[in-house]
Amino acid sequence: MEPAAAAPGAAIETRDVAKVFGPVHAVDGVTLALEPGRVYGLLGPNGSGKTTLIRLLMGLARPTSGEAHVLGVRMPSRENLARIGYMTQADGVYAELSVWENLRFFATLYGPPDEAALNETLRLVELGERRNTPAFELSGGMRRRLSLACALAHRPTVMFLDEPTVGVDPALRVQFWDHFRRLAAQGNTLLVSSHVMDEADRCDELLLMRAGRIIARGTSADIRREAGTEDLEGAFLKLAPAGEPQ
Amino acid sequence: MSGRRVLALARRIAEQFRRDRPSLALLIVAPVVMLALLGWVLRGSELPPTRLGIVNMAGLAAAQVRQAVEAGAASAGITIVDVGGDADAAIREGLADIVVLIPSGFAPTSPGSSPPIEIVVPGISPGDDAARVVQLQRMVAGLTPSAVTVAVRAVYGTGTPDALNSFAPALIGFFGFFFVFILTGISFLRERIGGTLERLLATPISRGEIVLGYSMGFTLFAALQVTIILLFALSTFSFEIAGVRVAIGLGIPCAGAPFLAFLVVVLLAVGAVNLGIFLSTFARTELQILQFIPIVITPQALLAGVFWSIESLPEALQPLARLMPLTYAIEGLRNVLIKGVGLESRALQVELLVLAGFAVFFVAIASRTIRREVA
Repeated sequence: MEPAAAAPGAAIETRDVAKVFGPVHAVDGVTLALEPGRVYGLLGPNGSGKTTLIRLLMGLARPTSGEAHVLGVRMPSRENLARIGYMTQADGVYAELSVWENLRFFATLYGPPDEAALNETLRLVELGERRNTPAFELSGGMRRRLSLACALAHRPTVMFLDEPTVGVDPALRVQFWDHFRRLAAQGNTLLVSSHVMDEADRCDELLLMRAGRIIARGTSADIRREAGTEDLEGAFLKLAPAGEPQ
Repeated sequence: MSGRRVLALARRIAEQFRRDRPSLALLIVAPVVMLALLGWVLRGSELPPTRLGIVNMAGLAAAQVRQAVEAGAASAGITIVDVGGDADAAIREGLADIVVLIPSGFAPTSPGSSPPIEIVVPGISPGDDAARVVQLQRMVAGLTPSAVTVAVRAVYGTGTPDALNSFAPALIGFFGFFFVFILTGISFLRERIGGTLERLLATPISRGEIVLGYSMGFTLFAALQVTIILLFALSTFSFEIAGVRVAIGLGIPCAGAPFLAFLVVVLLAVGAVNLGIFLSTFARTELQILQFIPIVITPQALLAGVFWSIESLPEALQPLARLMPLTYAIEGLRNVLIKGVGLESRALQVELLVLAGFAVFFVAIASRTIRREVA
């Protein structure tokens, strides 16, 4: 199932990738190699460059300098998007369409829709009962689940999930994370951005991002030990490069 | 290019429409209501520049009428042109705007048995026709009231010049453009601000597939719209309710093939869809889409021949009208519906080609605005 990557082992790779918007260095020279079969947490405050980094990896933005590779293919690559799933921060579903119509629409863009697989995906996000409900009638949490289902419907190998649990209640958040773990166990690679630090322990590895740079990488315990702090928030403040504001 | 993706997009737009009743009503009901209202108003001015032809087949018997017309024309500032002996040919070839035809056997002294004087008009721009006819009738009938009966005939279209006959093709084109433009603009703006465009671009769909899918989806509804407007405009269904006779439909005569009218509107709609996509880039809210109406819609409504023929516009404005897709659509629709021309007509060929050219141009600029990098 895992396609061969050019750089052996790495599912996601960047080399000194940067994105500059006018005076703002949104992503400021990030070099990464992320292995398949793991869940990576991309943590950082609002405006630290998480979304821009994901958009560079998706090929939705073109890097100002450096390179981004996914599954060995340099992005942007339209063909490669078929193997990548992307859950955006906004729900990105069509309000007038029913749950089923939304799911089938996005799935059809990748290939002839497999109804059984789509039903399975719906069951997973517990929207099976709601398949004919228009999206505008769904609660915020349900729309979030539908958004996740749309991102996973084509069974991608690499998934970028941008703050997937915002507005999701705690019980459902646990289910989301269980599912992310299951996907990783099947050999898929997940990069999950969040600014909720308590989700960090569910990740195999964390990337702490601040002002466009990765300032630390490792497990939650590693990072706390290195910074000599009790929690990740403390680590964040300590690890911030000298001269950074805040 | 994947047909599956294009069709998926077109189908999605259809499904969205199905749940969006107000927009569907706007697309279908509004044009019919407006057309009906206009029909009511019109079936109820200043004289345009006029070239008058006189064809006298009665010889000396009509000398008095001829003199009256010539005198009247001179005082009304109407130019008299020499049109030879064939009134219809003079109109067809564009030599005259109106022709007075005095038939052989015309006998002013015995009005009962005399064939009537005919006033022949093109029947294309009925506002103009009506003004000219009124003027001429005054000249002829005013001078010899008891001796002359007058019949009015149009070369194109049928019988009496009914302003509605000419307004209907113009309005079909106008509505086709207007509503499709507005609905696509808003719909695509929602894609941009609602995050669905970002998600769409995260799939392997190409820009070309997006504009094609959109064009298909919206053109489908434009086609539905034009079908219903044509049905309403061209036919009359009448029935009785409790002794009251009710007629639905305007019963406007159609000279040509409705299919060709359809083709004109479809080409126009493809252009309108893609202009809507293109301009949605420059709007941030739905209200700002509506602000394009004075820029995109109003000039076309004024200049493209809905109310006045292009030729009657001030000279400086005529080239401007030639830059507007609606101009060609209205000419095409009039050619088909009033003159009844077919695909062999050079004029219709040009109009279809220009409309196709506009469509291709708008598709190109629309797909340029859909970039993967949407910041």
